[in-house]
Amino acid sequence: MTEGQRKPPGGSSGRRADAAGGHAGSGPGADQLSALLSRVARGDQDAYAAVYDRTAGQVLGLVLSIVRDPAQSEEVTQEVLLDVWRSASRFDAGLGSAAAWVMTLAHRRAVDRVRSEQKAAEREMRVASSAVAYDEVAEAVEARLDRERVRRCLGSLTELQRESVTLAYYGGYTYREVAGLLGVAIGTVKTRMRDGLIRLRDCLGGDP
Amino acid sequence: MRPGGSDPHTLAGAYAMDAVPEPDRSRFERHLARCESCRQEVRGLREATAALAAATAIQPPAALRDTVLRAAGQTRQLPPAVAAASAAWAPPRHRRRPGWRPRLAVALAGALAAVAVAAGVVTFGMQGRLDQAQHRDHMVAAVLSASDATMMNRPVSTGGTATVVMSHRERALVFTAADLRVLPAGESYELWLIGPAGTRSAGMIDGSGHGRMVGPMVVSGLAAGDSVGMTVEPDSGSPRPTSPPLVLIGLR
Repeated sequence: MTEGQRKPPGGSSGRRADAAGGHAGSGPGADQLSALLSRVARGDQDAYAAVYDRTAGQVLGLVLSIVRDPAQSEEVTQEVLLDVWRSASRFDAGLGSAAAWVMTLAHRRAVDRVRSEQKAAEREMRVASSAVAYDEVAEAVEARLDRERVRRCLGSLTELQRESVTLAYYGGYTYREVAGLLGVAIGTVKTRMRDGLIRLRDCLGGDP
Repeated sequence: MRPGGSDPHTLAGAYAMDAVPEPDRSRFERHLARCESCRQEVRGLREATAALAAATAIQPPAALRDTVLRAAGQTRQLPPAVAAASAAWAPPRHRRRPGWRPRLAVALAGALAAVAVAAGVVTFGMQGRLDQAQHRDHMVAAVLSASDATMMNRPVSTGGTATVVMSHRERALVFTAADLRVLPAGESYELWLIGPAGTRSAGMIDGSGHGRMVGPMVVSGLAAGDSVGMTVEPDSGSPRPTSPPLVLIGLR
């Protein structure tokens, strides 16, 4: 696959090591992000620049893993980050971490982009011809999946859980598509996605 | 669990990953609206997915930063959501109406935010009212963002201020009031449409006198020449106003 492999400026080590607020909304980075968002909600552009610095790398990374095309991914990333600016007042810390809020916006936008009608037809064909998708998604993600803890926690899932979560989250596939790709019953995929995320949540939360 | 995984609970994982297309999605969201433990589960799973996202972080191109920051400087921000009780943070999927009326939006944002907090508490307590509340919030947004929206403020004779934002195009208005006199138990404020088409009750004002703000109430079905008025009535409401309005606002 050539898509999604654009070399970031600064060479192959250009992954963001700081990416504050990245670990499922725990730790001081997350609190800071939340505090920054409430300043953004009041129109504070300096706070917005700080939010950008903390989230843009994650947003772009996630969007790229779903959308694949670098130019489109950048477009979607812009839309997401503008969403953050525009709707910062809608962030409710009582409903989850700031990082999760931003990444939920990002994932939703990326998925909307690939599910737009033209793409849908193309993807349906891929689902029908099956097989390649999981390796393809997993490879593209693996290349950039450099958070040791996440890697370890993903590794603790059963194979079917891991494949289901990877295809849905990083691949942007619907649960029906995932069932088709993996050749398993729809009900099975639903429960594997849920069990897989629960296990992931417990693994990430339990052992920082 | 029913056979075939038709238990809606099992969709929580797929839903947290945006892997549930319509119409299943809407069905699951209706289920979420009634199921606090499901909402909590979805939130928890979303935290896990955020960690998945963080793991793919890369260095964005430097030019992107300038582009985004500049664009933000030229982009109007949304006022706080009225639907504080929405099941999850769904970003707005519908197309936004162009051209928020800036002054109206700013003037009402604070009021609506305050009300949203109160409404959120009530709504979480009474799940059956969630849909109704969301419907109302959509109506509020539709009126406030209508291109012909106009705002009117009038003092209430017994204290406080009434604010109406109306849209002829939407044939509806949004009513809020601040600092109304606290009424004795058994009495509430009632809203009326008064005009050539007759005098019609527009509903009891929720939480009358409790807290600084009341409303927002959406009143639809406006007729030509209507005014909106407010009286004090028994809690159960009256078929006709029993006293002259404390405030009367002509709708032009």
